[in-house]
Amino acid sequence: MKPVLVIGGGIAGLTAAVELADAGAPVILVEKSASLGGRVARMHQYFPKLCPPRCGLEMHYRRLRESQAITVLTLAEAVDVRGVPGDYEVDIKIAPRHVTADCTLCGDCAKACKAERADEFNYGLAKTKAAYLPHGMAYPMLYAIDRAACTAGCRECETACKYGAIALDAPPETRTYKIAAVVAATGWKPYDATKLDQLGFGKCPNVVTNVMLERMAAVDGPGGGRILRPSDGREPRTVAFVQCAGSRDEKHLPYCSAVCCSASIKHAAYIRAQYPETAVTIFYIDVRTPGRLEEFYARVNRDANLQLIKGKVARVEENPATHDLLVTAEDVMAGKKNTLQFELVVLATGIVPEPGWLPAGLGRDEFGFVSGSNGGFYAAGCARRPEEVSATVEDATGAALQALACARRGARA
Amino acid sequence: MGNTVLQPDTEFIKDLMAAGAEDVKKCYQCATCSVACELGDGAFPRRQMVAAQWGQKEKLLADPAPWLCFYCGECSKRCPRQANPGETMMALRRYATAQYDWTGLARRMYGSAVWEIGVLLLVAAMVIALFTVPQNFGFGLLRQHPEALQTVRLDLFAPKHVVHRADWIMAIGLALLLLSNALRMFRALTRGKHVPLGVWLACLPGMVADGLTQRRWAKCGESRMHWLRHLVLVTGYGTIFTLVVIFLPWFQVEDTGFHWTSLLGYYSTVVLLGSTGWILLDRMGKRSEMHRFSELSDWLFPVLLFLTALSGIALHIVRLANEPMATYTIYTVHLAIAAPMLIVEVPFGKWAHLLYRPLALYIAAAVNRSEAMDGYKE
Repeated sequence: MKPVLVIGGGIAGLTAAVELADAGAPVILVEKSASLGGRVARMHQYFPKLCPPRCGLEMHYRRLRESQAITVLTLAEAVDVRGVPGDYEVDIKIAPRHVTADCTLCGDCAKACKAERADEFNYGLAKTKAAYLPHGMAYPMLYAIDRAACTAGCRECETACKYGAIALDAPPETRTYKIAAVVAATGWKPYDATKLDQLGFGKCPNVVTNVMLERMAAVDGPGGGRILRPSDGREPRTVAFVQCAGSRDEKHLPYCSAVCCSASIKHAAYIRAQYPETAVTIFYIDVRTPGRLEEFYARVNRDANLQLIKGKVARVEENPATHDLLVTAEDVMAGKKNTLQFELVVLATGIVPEPGWLPAGLGRDEFGFVSGSNGGFYAAGCARRPEEVSATVEDATGAALQALACARRGARA
Repeated sequence: MGNTVLQPDTEFIKDLMAAGAEDVKKCYQCATCSVACELGDGAFPRRQMVAAQWGQKEKLLADPAPWLCFYCGECSKRCPRQANPGETMMALRRYATAQYDWTGLARRMYGSAVWEIGVLLLVAAMVIALFTVPQNFGFGLLRQHPEALQTVRLDLFAPKHVVHRADWIMAIGLALLLLSNALRMFRALTRGKHVPLGVWLACLPGMVADGLTQRRWAKCGESRMHWLRHLVLVTGYGTIFTLVVIFLPWFQVEDTGFHWTSLLGYYSTVVLLGSTGWILLDRMGKRSEMHRFSELSDWLFPVLLFLTALSGIALHIVRLANEPMATYTIYTVHLAIAAPMLIVEVPFGKWAHLLYRPLALYIAAAVNRSEAMDGYKE
């Protein structure tokens, strides 16, 4: 049987890969960053169980390691697919990691490195050196060197590495594989909060986004898991969540991003667990917690220090002296407009499908989500629609089954 | 909270949508508009949006709030659903203007372009007939005085004491119609509310000030330009109205000498042409939120004002040029534009806001004040 190409090493792509391998299909898994794990690796906890994503990710990694059928290519992108369902040829461009498998994770390269790069894994909350370990749950567990961030002419890391694991001059390469089908699990990114010009993000330090709060709460995050105000590093005594920050808005994302309500309720639980005195307010249009999440919402909402106000926040201003934030919204239930002061404001930004290359034949809808399937191409996860992790896993399993059927048909022909 | 039975008036929803609120059903009550609005009570215009969606006609006709809006358009600009609350408030004002009129003419004219233009043309035809028919039946003064065909003798064509009297009759007639409609508005907005006489009196100066300056508008939205332009426009037609109704014997002259009234006439002509021309360009180019949507009633009022001023200039020029027939013709045309405009717009049309808006502000202020006093007593 020819292998199935899975594009994207996040939870959807990982699930499709391990399920396909389990069912006997060989897999080529390509990931454009230096590590698998995607956005799930950045999470502190899942809703509704408030358990860490590590165990699920670790189980996937274990199945990946144990399987002989999966080829993992990081820093890799598919660039062209030709052929018919069951019999395609794909070109994959692989950027050099500049660190070989001899890396022992000693970290001497990063210590020697003087150049810095924005830490995309931490949503810009921190920086890494140009020689960096992608994150604590990296796969492959190897450093990488971001040559674009290097100081011109510098080769300090090469000198510092005791194992000869640095290959600064390694060239990029393009490989061609025969494949039977493609699962596009290209994932999502958070909506750019700087476009929400009334909400202060990018201008007021204490306005952060929900994905940033996730990193602030994570034990492997830049703050070691303590949720603190960016302006002064103090614990926030009042926190506001601004729901639908961009979502359900004709001028931004006309669709509901599906997860932000549950995510903010989860974030409220993080904050309340850390700070017994802190009061949390969630401003919402509608609380959308379908299915069993309704019970999660009810459970968290029993907390007397959590308040939900129906009314979209339309303005966030800053008190320049204290960096506290003035949040204006109508309390729709009371019919009164209020301006309330908070020490930290979290914008519940939505899900935007990650743009980028797709096999010709897989279209995008008006919002950029990959639409369904075509020929031997199948889409899965948040590339296809906004959804929570558990739904993504089920979605990816379904796509894997379809791709498997296609590969089997190809093998018989 | 007791049980409330809502009876949606679906005809009202349809009528309101036809009056310009076609996007009202897109609203999902997020209240961004309430935050955007600097003038409202904190729930405005969100509460009116849901009342409109639910067909709460009685509630909305008894609500002064749509008249407190000067349509800066911030709400529509920021509405995440593009439900256009600003235009919905405008539609509510159009609808209310039609409802407050007891003759039913306003309802017909807002509901149908044929009616609106038909009535305008009918009044114009009557004006033209008034000036042309007598001239052809022996009792025309021009026939008795052939010299009026050589040199401009406006007083022989349209004797100013007659025109002046007709002005007064028209002014009183229109005022009575408008006042009777305003009385219906007053009743609708004060039903079930108890406001002591003292409070009514205390709020009176505020009403006059609001009516003269539209001072609340200056606080509305980011730009004061619309407010200032409107204020200048008010001084323009206030001037010309005073000239025509009170000072006509000094304003309607037939010689080419200098008259102090000419200066005031020039002022209002420049203001009327400039402001209405600018407004029309804004509407044509949809250059601001308040001019993005234009119903027929929004076009007719500035167009007629513009044409009135334009024909006034033409009249002035041909009179100074001593062209008798041209003067009489343009005089007739000028009145055939101005009279229908006044007769249609003041009691039944968009111009009725000159009384409705300050009255609604007055009632809202008086009701708020007496409710605050009641609250204090308790």
